[in-house]
Amino acid sequence: MAERKRIELMLCAGTGCVAGGAFQIMEALQKELAARELKNEVAVVPTGCNGFCGQGPLMVVLPDNIFYGWIALKDIPLLVEEHFLKGRPVKKLMFVPSEEKIPLPLLSDIPFFKKQMLIVLRNKGIIDPEKIEDYLARDGYIAIEKALTSMSPEEVIEEIKKSGLRGRGGAGFPTGMKWSIARQQEKVPKYLIANCDEGDPGAYMDRSVLESDPHSVIEGMSLAAFGIGVSDGFIYVRTEYPLAIERMQTAISLAREYGLLGTDILGTGFDFDVEIREGSGAFVCGEETSLIHSIEGDIPEPRQRPPFPAQQGLWGCPTVINNVETLANVPAIVARGSAWYSSIGTDTSKGTKIFSLVGKINNTGLIEVPMGITLREIVDEIGGGIPEGKAFKAVQTGGPSGGCIPASMLDSPIDYDSLQKAGSMMGSGGMIVLDEDTCVVDVSKFFIQFTNDESCGKCVSCRDGSDALLEVLTRISDGEGREGDIEFLEELGDAVKDSSMCGLGQTLPNPVLSTLRYFREEYEAHIKEKRCPALVCKNLIQYYIDPDLCVGCLKCLKTCPSGGIKGELKYVHFIDQADCTKCGQCFEVCPPKIAAVVKVTGDNFDRLEHLTEIVSCSDWKSSGHNGRNGKPAKTDAAEAV
Amino acid sequence: MPKKIGAVAVVGGGISGMQAALDLADSGIKVHIIESKPGIGGVMSMLDKTFPTNDCAMCTMAPRLVEISRHKDIEVISHSEVEKIAGKPGKLNVTLNTKARFVDVDKCTGCGSCTQSCPVSNFVQPMLPEDKPVVELNPEIRERIVDIVRKHKHRRGPLMPILQEVSAFLRYFPEEVLKYISQETAYPVAHIVRVATFYSGFSLKPIGKHIINICMGTACYVRGSQILADRFSDLLNIGMDETTEDMQFTLKSVRCIGCCGLSPVATVADEVYGKLQIKDVPGILNKHAAEPKHEGELQIAN
Repeated sequence: MAERKRIELMLCAGTGCVAGGAFQIMEALQKELAARELKNEVAVVPTGCNGFCGQGPLMVVLPDNIFYGWIALKDIPLLVEEHFLKGRPVKKLMFVPSEEKIPLPLLSDIPFFKKQMLIVLRNKGIIDPEKIEDYLARDGYIAIEKALTSMSPEEVIEEIKKSGLRGRGGAGFPTGMKWSIARQQEKVPKYLIANCDEGDPGAYMDRSVLESDPHSVIEGMSLAAFGIGVSDGFIYVRTEYPLAIERMQTAISLAREYGLLGTDILGTGFDFDVEIREGSGAFVCGEETSLIHSIEGDIPEPRQRPPFPAQQGLWGCPTVINNVETLANVPAIVARGSAWYSSIGTDTSKGTKIFSLVGKINNTGLIEVPMGITLREIVDEIGGGIPEGKAFKAVQTGGPSGGCIPASMLDSPIDYDSLQKAGSMMGSGGMIVLDEDTCVVDVSKFFIQFTNDESCGKCVSCRDGSDALLEVLTRISDGEGREGDIEFLEELGDAVKDSSMCGLGQTLPNPVLSTLRYFREEYEAHIKEKRCPALVCKNLIQYYIDPDLCVGCLKCLKTCPSGGIKGELKYVHFIDQADCTKCGQCFEVCPPKIAAVVKVTGDNFDRLEHLTEIVSCSDWKSSGHNGRNGKPAKTDAAEAV
Repeated sequence: MPKKIGAVAVVGGGISGMQAALDLADSGIKVHIIESKPGIGGVMSMLDKTFPTNDCAMCTMAPRLVEISRHKDIEVISHSEVEKIAGKPGKLNVTLNTKARFVDVDKCTGCGSCTQSCPVSNFVQPMLPEDKPVVELNPEIRERIVDIVRKHKHRRGPLMPILQEVSAFLRYFPEEVLKYISQETAYPVAHIVRVATFYSGFSLKPIGKHIINICMGTACYVRGSQILADRFSDLLNIGMDETTEDMQFTLKSVRCIGCCGLSPVATVADEVYGKLQIKDVPGILNKHAAEPKHEGELQIAN
């Protein structure tokens, strides 16, 4: 922000928006601006993740604070001419809440942003993450200056202790406590590691912090290093985040250039430097002892604790491992004081937490909310409800270590302890919304498959326990569930929890146990009635083409990989159940306004009498299908489709 | 109480043999422990801790060792192997082959002095430098690999950075490269292979020109990425983690690339395709089959 322009376009360049074509849009914008001779008045600034990923590619126009989402290349000439030349904001690119249908021009009016409270993400979408000046202009590196010049290391730790900050990686260990344990160790050198091995599927807040505000992590690390007495820091990032690694690298070199990393920082004699280490796709590396092994070049299996890493970690030296989000909180706490920070949140959980709100929800994206907010506020107000008017079923928090929270508990506040009580956990902050079309057995199976894959195999209970859980869950979703399976899952789940060494094993049964607690009847439907109420489990459903709706457009027929659909243009199609592999592709391709392909399960199945007539029919024209087979389709809509 | 007659031979003097012998002897049966090694104890005597309780192994063993040596009904026949078993249950004749010990068992106190001073076991075969096999690298890749290893080998924890850079260069690890890394660093090949196979980002098999990564993160999964994966799999006629015969495509699944707002997502040769639908799949494949791979930059999709 070296030089202010009349209008600044804060174009989101987080991974999600880049995938949606943000860089092409930036190029087109610059070309268009040049063509209109607006280059000196309008600046395009690529920022980190804005958070409202469901609207990407997106941008915010400053200083008016107007939000534009779903920008397409073809809209750009219109946008430049109308808004930047003539000063008339373009309505069709604004955000429209699903229930009201009136575009909301201002970012601050959009409910997605309204309820949020930004501490960690205070700079998101406002600064260019690749420019250190932007961070400095937003009071960056003030906290480290304050600490180095006017505070002792003990005071820094005391400040963090008083703030009540707890680890944001999931378990919620008090950060100040961890630091002071490491500070008390006599052995030197000591190490600091920022953990950005964010493996939970559906969670991407750490990535977003690194992408949108890398300097806040560096500053947080410097403060931690000063408090603990460390001069070597590592940032452990998963290699699946190339953009985050690149931006972090740039930020580190810039900080070194400005004398904010390296030797004799700010002339105070304090030395600290940071190095990036990459993981290569092993979920268990997010576990701290495993992560240490990975950096050492050892086999990344966890080990028994104690000794805790704060006592004996990297190369046998005291090591503090903090989550990236935790560290990004630190500069704000030091700069503004612990009293301010501890006034936010609930009794046991202070401050804010970033969640990635994804799944079956209207406004997908990254949100930062104060602790103690209710799930209902998040889902209904920030998230804008469930798409297509479907019914809300549950929220899955905490990734593979967490559990599902049902609709009945939507009003409980979100903090470490109440989530734990509900059978889930904070985790790293994934929040996946499930609607009525999601089968809980299938979701549990998905998570156990994940943990089974990622289990390092050291403990029998985790390795073989997850195998056994998966076997039973697969059996249930295949329609071969037996009496007693539910009780077995519960017993085994508890056993795995009690007897595994690291966090992965101790929490892996949570998705199963929590869904058993709240959605037991759905498991029972699978086992006793051989019915999948959400119409997901392949062996329990059948696809069927409604002859009254089919227009004979051939779409499904061409897509079917097994050749199980018979029919001709403008003739009603039908699915030969003998050939159907239940891949569901016909269901997907059938145009929504026709929607002739339907799924049926359990009892519904028998109610459709005509199904029985056609189950294994070879000559489709001469057979049943309510007498409509081989008959011309009802309308001529086939051509229109 | 009927009088117990007969005796039991326990073959193998490990921890289970020892416990079995003690239980039998305590119930009043004569026991012979037959052990092929010069002393009983087995594998457990070599362990420090035991799974899963992390109990000290020696603390479990030592009382049993003492008890066996004291027990009046247990006879330890060490340094012996079973040669033949004849007869029928109830009356078996076991022939043993006891190996020569060259030490008078009755007089030996186990002081260890002879072991230490024996010149044969103390004689270390010197490994001459030229005996070490030198790993030959394929000349095409040689320079680059040597460079990578040299760059990192003096760092602390050099293995991961080396493997990552080699993997970025070759996209898989040929055997000779792993051997070369082992030769240049202190890591044994077995260790490197274990590390390399632990991470899903590494491969020991050659992979195709374009890698198709289907995101199987939760958000993508609940929005139907499995159906997408099946479609890719059908069209390419390969399963997950397999490569097409022409080495064009490798199909993989990835755990969340963090584009949950665009779910379901797949990346093909570094291009990210968001909000994918089944009908888009053939087009994507054709596009990449026709074009050579572009390095680097992410491109627009949909």
